[in-house]
Amino acid sequence: MFETLAEAALMIMRFDVLAMIAAGMCLGIFVGALPGFTTVMAMAVVLPISFFLEPILGIPFLIGVYKGGIFGGSIPAILVNIPGTGAAVATTLDGPAMTRNGQSRKALEIALVASAIGDFLSSFGTILVIGLIAAIALMIGPPEIAAILILSLLIIVVSSSGSFLKGMVMLFIGMSIAMVGQDPIGAMVRFDFGFHALQAGVNLLPLIIGLFAIPEILFAIERRQGSIVTAERTRPEGERLRWGEFRRSLRTILRSTALGGVIGMIPGVGQVVSAFMGYSAAKNASKTPERFGKGELEGVAAPEAANNAVNGPTMVPLLTLGIPGDNITAILLGAFVAQGLRPGPQLFQDQGVLVYAILLSMLVACVLLVIIGYLLTPVFSRVVTINKAYLVPLMLLFAVAGTYVYRSNPMDLYFMIAFGVFGYAARKMGFDVTPLVMGFILLPPLEYAVGQSVLLSRGDLFGYLIGSRPITVAVVILTPVLIFWIASRQGRRTRAAKRAVRDQRAKEEEAAGRTD
Amino acid sequence: MKPIKKTVLALAAALGLAATPLAAQDYPDRPITMIIPLGAGGSHDLNARVITSVLPEYLGQPVVVQLMPGAGGQTGTAAAAEAEADGYTLLFTHNFIDQLQQHVANLPYDPNESFVSVARVNSAQPVLVVREDSLYQSWEELVEYGRENPGELRFGHSGNWGAFMVPGLALLNEVDVEATLIPYQGGGPVMQALLAGDVDFTFAFPSVLAGQDLRPLLVVGEDQIVEGVPTTTELGFDIVSDIGIMHRPVLAPAGVPEERLQVLRDAFAKLNENETFQSLMGRLGENTAHVDGAEYDKLRQRQSDEYADLVSSFSQ
Repeated sequence: MFETLAEAALMIMRFDVLAMIAAGMCLGIFVGALPGFTTVMAMAVVLPISFFLEPILGIPFLIGVYKGGIFGGSIPAILVNIPGTGAAVATTLDGPAMTRNGQSRKALEIALVASAIGDFLSSFGTILVIGLIAAIALMIGPPEIAAILILSLLIIVVSSSGSFLKGMVMLFIGMSIAMVGQDPIGAMVRFDFGFHALQAGVNLLPLIIGLFAIPEILFAIERRQGSIVTAERTRPEGERLRWGEFRRSLRTILRSTALGGVIGMIPGVGQVVSAFMGYSAAKNASKTPERFGKGELEGVAAPEAANNAVNGPTMVPLLTLGIPGDNITAILLGAFVAQGLRPGPQLFQDQGVLVYAILLSMLVACVLLVIIGYLLTPVFSRVVTINKAYLVPLMLLFAVAGTYVYRSNPMDLYFMIAFGVFGYAARKMGFDVTPLVMGFILLPPLEYAVGQSVLLSRGDLFGYLIGSRPITVAVVILTPVLIFWIASRQGRRTRAAKRAVRDQRAKEEEAAGRTD
Repeated sequence: MKPIKKTVLALAAALGLAATPLAAQDYPDRPITMIIPLGAGGSHDLNARVITSVLPEYLGQPVVVQLMPGAGGQTGTAAAAEAEADGYTLLFTHNFIDQLQQHVANLPYDPNESFVSVARVNSAQPVLVVREDSLYQSWEELVEYGRENPGELRFGHSGNWGAFMVPGLALLNEVDVEATLIPYQGGGPVMQALLAGDVDFTFAFPSVLAGQDLRPLLVVGEDQIVEGVPTTTELGFDIVSDIGIMHRPVLAPAGVPEERLQVLRDAFAKLNENETFQSLMGRLGENTAHVDGAEYDKLRQRQSDEYADLVSSFSQ
């Protein structure tokens, strides 16, 4: 295997390969940063270009677009609270708060570093144990997906800011909205209230843009300052990421990477789930959990590392079985096939060097991402220093255009405005909308997985689970234990932190009293 | 004004863009939108990328892909039905959305009244597959087991009333076997379920068949595309052959001016002769069995009747 790897490494160490990855990456970052344009769209549009290039140029080019697009998606999430995808929603928990504190550049840099490390390590691990991951991926079927989704939903509620009850309310609202349209198993229309426009259900993009961007715009108007940044800073775009801060975040980044690497084996919803799991785990492990949600550096590092750590395992079913797990890998499959490479068990035997070269190009792309991102962040981070009189209308323009451009459906604009008003009211009343978004994103796959599990069991669900689904049983048993542990730990920590703050203040007052 | 127009035309001709017939000089004079009622990354998206990279050679204008997924294809189809019938909006769809949806959902359009065919670009024949280590060596063995154990066989398909459920259901009707139907979200997930042993059989398109640990048992359609595997036509299941294969047609809103429709039909006919197009489609594992729009329109009416029968047989 090492000979193959060495040969593969020689294959990609060419200037034109690097240039193609870099070109794709710049394209991906800019397209990903525009709300409404997804990485999938960018890849689909440039796919024909790869048809006419040799495989070692064409596929790394697409990989560049892919990696750039994912990082690009975090940029508006951090700067103006517009998450372009479900995977970026967790980044909005602390990213925009950092921006308001005048740390937009620092936030972008930690997102960049965390993404690149998460991605690099997961891709590297994938290359080493690709066979093992392929074997595990086949053991994850509908019952396992259902069990893991239920666990994640509970973790999200337990660790959302605000009370448990408020979290549950939002979760159920999100789940109810997701039920509008056709049911996933029987394709029967439900909750459409007789409107044809509702038959297609509510789309994710108007929901998240409405819930996050519109309230942000309204709050920006309410605050009477010249720019979005509220804190006084000497440098307009804010300070850089310091080495010490990076060192401190490294634990979080590695934890998120491990989580993302494992969750990445779940097809379809891996990115969203792992971003939130990474965030929750970081908050849970932190000595200062109360700072999360108020502009905590690790609160940006955790979801970014986690959702990028999914990338390695996602490629496994594609390469080993020729099965695309999501839309991005479906496009890559198209690119492979058009090059005469048919992913599947035989590809490694016939074209081992080329496949490893493509895998290595994923590692190279991570390194290039750090370099290109590092050069581009000063440009992006300046966006928030634009005078508010111009920036707020621009944000509104991007919110509206981003919603419409996704599938050109005017209904989506009404939805966006409605969710915007709802999101504003919810935030004013101290409700965290994150559980709503999670419920909305995770209910359809959960419903699907439960329905499939029932059909697969042919009438005897318990017998089926106990008899042939050991992983599901393990997850189901583990769920209450884990939830209880997190909840109790969090309660204890919050109380301890409050006490610490009180003690600190008392000490300071005492000290102040002495110097007087 | 005139000299400018002449210069532009001359320029276009020099660039090899003005290959359209003289009568249709004015059309198209701006980009054409091609709506796909499906999501990014699927087989229609990939096919469309090939079409739109070659078609402009014959139309002299770019063709822009617009993805409008939702409600099993209804969202995009409804948008195309409402679009102006001026030849600047086309719909790239498949027969199951086009002709089957009307029998299982309330549509705001009538497919046969709202659209006319420009061309059928290509077709794909699904192949019934089991795992390589499966007990079933042949189609007959699968049927035999299914008859003796009603409801025991697990048939995984790629989505309700989609490209795998329809031929599967039609086949099960023909041989009178009762199976448990389990929907998956697309061809990828259902193939993974088959390889994991969660389902007993499913379908695969020839483009994904090669290099997999699969055993093909039956080819849907007329052409024997897998050596040594019988086709539904050979076995006498003519209805299955007829309605079970996937057609990928390009439609235009009804009422599009006759001469513009002809420009489009000619362009697709020429597209099919193009060597780049042929080789790219070949690489994607797709055929280029072009059928002219006028002829395909006749087929659509017949599909509609046969799907109506299929749906009523399932709901009983």
